[in-house]
Amino acid sequence: MNPKVAKLVLGAGILALSSLLSVPSRAQDADATLSGTITDVSGAAVPNAKISIKDVSTGQSTETQTDSAGHYGALNLAPGDYEIAVSAERYSTNTVKVAVAAGANKTADVTLAGVLSLLDLGISPEQAQGTAAAQARLNKRSHMLMLHQRFGLIAAIPLIATVATSFGAGGRSTSTADRWAHLALGSATGDLYFTSAYFAIFAPKIPGTHSRGQIRVHKALAWIHGPGMILTPILGAIAFDQKSRGERVHGIASAHGAVAIVTAAAYGAAIISVSFKF
Amino acid sequence: MDRKIILALFLLVHPLRAAVDSQWVLEESTLTYHVSHPLKQTEGVSHAAKGKGVCHAGQCDFLIAVSVKSFDSGDSNRDLHMLQVVRGGQFPLITVRTHLPEDASSLATILADLEVQFAGQTVQYRQIAFQHVVKGDDTVITGTIPLTLTAFKIDPPTLLTLPVKNEIPVKVEMKWRPER
Repeated sequence: MNPKVAKLVLGAGILALSSLLSVPSRAQDADATLSGTITDVSGAAVPNAKISIKDVSTGQSTETQTDSAGHYGALNLAPGDYEIAVSAERYSTNTVKVAVAAGANKTADVTLAGVLSLLDLGISPEQAQGTAAAQARLNKRSHMLMLHQRFGLIAAIPLIATVATSFGAGGRSTSTADRWAHLALGSATGDLYFTSAYFAIFAPKIPGTHSRGQIRVHKALAWIHGPGMILTPILGAIAFDQKSRGERVHGIASAHGAVAIVTAAAYGAAIISVSFKF
Repeated sequence: MDRKIILALFLLVHPLRAAVDSQWVLEESTLTYHVSHPLKQTEGVSHAAKGKGVCHAGQCDFLIAVSVKSFDSGDSNRDLHMLQVVRGGQFPLITVRTHLPEDASSLATILADLEVQFAGQTVQYRQIAFQHVVKGDDTVITGTIPLTLTAFKIDPPTLLTLPVKNEIPVKVEMKWRPER
């Protein structure tokens, strides 16, 4: 190799090596350590406490935990402001702020409060802890009632149409087509209604709860529109049969219209009673 | 047996008692959550909170717990829906922990750092202001905890496809009685 080139390479190597060595030594000068002891209010050490040391300026955190004597330590910290969050089971999390100077060995002891437990409030572990099954029951209930609501609202559409077509189906001048249209819409209403009712009736009950508020009105109205939804098609079938034979609607079947109107009104009121809530 | 030995044994099996200088007991409470929706405002109230505070070496540690189920909005159907939404079947309690210097009881406004456990999540709230009034033997604390649904990973319930607001502030009114 050319001696000049060799000298140049050697010089560059020495420069690179010296710069590599000088960087950590500068960093070591600036780096600080943070250590301390975590105790409870009685002064006892808290082992296995989780320590999160957050650099306030960068938001970066260093995680560590206390040893059996409650000691913790963190090395190679840049100078600056830090937030130390200490958490441990059965204790409330405590956060302290410390300023760490360049190269300092900062001590930050933290006291954890939290010797109180739910038992001190007279709450047993059974009362404090729910179950996945209880939550699943609530979820199922909400899901079924959501379906009840949707089918119920959809049923209102053919219900209105059934009422609207009743004038053509039940008056003096009626046509067979009007009666069939009325029958078809009424059947669709019934199907949707009973599907909706199924989800309400079989939604899981939550033990220890009693109906309060608007839902009581909603449930009370079901005692009107429920039997009405059974009675109306029965009376309607008799009236349909009488009309089809060319007879005037008579006897018990003549109550079909009145029962249907009361049923539809109760149904509408039931929807309104729970419409403006969540 | 020597009385001192009995006392020592008693303190040994009751470390909490040994460390405590004074206690506070929650006598009465009214907690009210407020839910806002573009079409409706709703409030749910609970008077069922239980709470206790213990003080030692100038520091007081408080724990308050309330059952999610105890909140009453006036409609059981809505309350059960809320119970489901906030995962109350699995996490039936809301607990709040805080610790304060014992001399905070002399201040008209107390700034407290709260640790709230709710819906299976733990969230820290810093420097929440509570007003503090002494009435006879009792100390009445009032304030509002600014809970949000997202902080507790709760999906907001909807009405007519519109979700409720994320903020569900909980107004707190508590009457504490010291026990020494």
